[in-house]
Amino acid sequence: MKIAVMSCIHSNYEALDAVLRDIDRAKAEKIFCLGDLVGYGPEPHAVVEMIRSLDIPTVQGCWDEDIVEGLNSCECSYPSVLAEHRGRFAHEWTKEQIYPDTIEFLAELPKTMMYENLAFVHGSPHSQHEYLLPELDGFIALERVLSTGADTLFCGHTHVPYVRSLDAGQLNIRVTGTKENQDSTFTAPLKRIVNAGSVGEPRHGRPNATYVIYDTDTEEVTMREVEYDYQKTCAAIIEKGLPKIFAWRLAKGMEYAERADDASHLCERGV
Amino acid sequence: MSNWAILSGIEANLEAYEAVLTDIKRQTPQVTDLYILGDLISATKDSEKVIDRICHPKLGEPIPQVCKGWWEEQCLILHGFGETDEPTELIQKYGIATAKELWDNIPKSVVEWIYNLHFAFMELDCLLVHGSSISVSEELSPQTSPLQLFDRVSRAGANRLFCGRSGQTFRYHIKDGSVCSTVTSLDKTAPSQTFETTERVIIGVGNVGHIPHQATYALYSPNSDMLQFKTVRYGSGKGFQ
Repeated sequence: MKIAVMSCIHSNYEALDAVLRDIDRAKAEKIFCLGDLVGYGPEPHAVVEMIRSLDIPTVQGCWDEDIVEGLNSCECSYPSVLAEHRGRFAHEWTKEQIYPDTIEFLAELPKTMMYENLAFVHGSPHSQHEYLLPELDGFIALERVLSTGADTLFCGHTHVPYVRSLDAGQLNIRVTGTKENQDSTFTAPLKRIVNAGSVGEPRHGRPNATYVIYDTDTEEVTMREVEYDYQKTCAAIIEKGLPKIFAWRLAKGMEYAERADDASHLCERGV
Repeated sequence: MSNWAILSGIEANLEAYEAVLTDIKRQTPQVTDLYILGDLISATKDSEKVIDRICHPKLGEPIPQVCKGWWEEQCLILHGFGETDEPTELIQKYGIATAKELWDNIPKSVVEWIYNLHFAFMELDCLLVHGSSISVSEELSPQTSPLQLFDRVSRAGANRLFCGRSGQTFRYHIKDGSVCSTVTSLDKTAPSQTFETTERVIIGVGNVGHIPHQATYALYSPNSDMLQFKTVRYGSGKGFQ
């Protein structure tokens, strides 16, 4: 069975619509969404309503959480003061746009979901705000997958899709000071992290929406890139008074000022 | 040369703490630094006496460096200064009556003192903490997943992590290891990369006050990396190991 996994829609209805059409064409039977339905973009309510109406299983993203609970992130969310100002403005704008029952919906989203041997989170199993960058230390990455009990961990948050295989993991251990001192070797079977990229605010260098399709029978992952009328969303961002840089980076598919680039940073916030 | 005594979990047992202090004074080479990794108090009235003793070391005793433990965190939660609003963990573990005792038996002045305690100490390449680098509640022990232990010590940028939440004494030495990683992006598959660990050690420092008449703690020399666990028997049937 083919399943589609998408993330980080960020109030971009045009992109969501294009991705849903592509999923339909690819004949995926199930869709999972990894959160960040809102923030940055011009259509928060329309995006949430679409996800709700299609009854797509969704985990809570960091933006969804912040809209519900107020901004309370550790340093990894805003790497610069300017980025923080823009983020705060977008947060307040989004909060004004959406209805109380939309906030209620976002509040009730789970932080993790499991389906067979697959786990779904927004950032990492430890925090919606933690970035699992592809350069993250291999042991830390392996720990994140193993902590879920899954074989494959799907995440988003970085806005850049990737598939990471972690193989032949082993640690040699000696325990002393207890009643039974012992040497042992811990081994981990092949595990994978699949980052679904971003539907509505991609940062892989092109403006196209990204998501992934996973085949549960063959375990094959296909990263999909979908063209759509991003200029329409850019125009709406400017028209609605959101920071113009959001339109600029959407058109470029890249963010220089706000991209997470410290693979060693582990978010201090817990799930 | 510095020599550390590291203890945790006095849990308002003043007699046990005095016995450990006596044992510390006997050590050669002399103990230069004393770290208390939380759980000084419990829900009993004796908590205040223990805090008073810790705050007033006798002549010649090392000045204790104290960080916050699980009991201190529960106390702060009750007073509205904790990480969470509700004392759910305390009530689940000990019941509402204990929550009330903790509220009744810890005076406001002590709460203020607790509020100012550190979460952890980072000394040299060692993290000293009650639970783990992410929470006072997290219990690290030899039964914990090896990668979880690796993560908790690595995320602090440390090579050694001393903790007390489990109450156990142990030295968990991650000697070496490796994992092979391959990343495929939209545009390319990067060559496989092998990550290798440098050694990490997680140390359980025991518990002073929980088990009657038997306290455990750790002695550590950061210069030589020598670690020794001490068991102190006190009160009736006392003896030293």
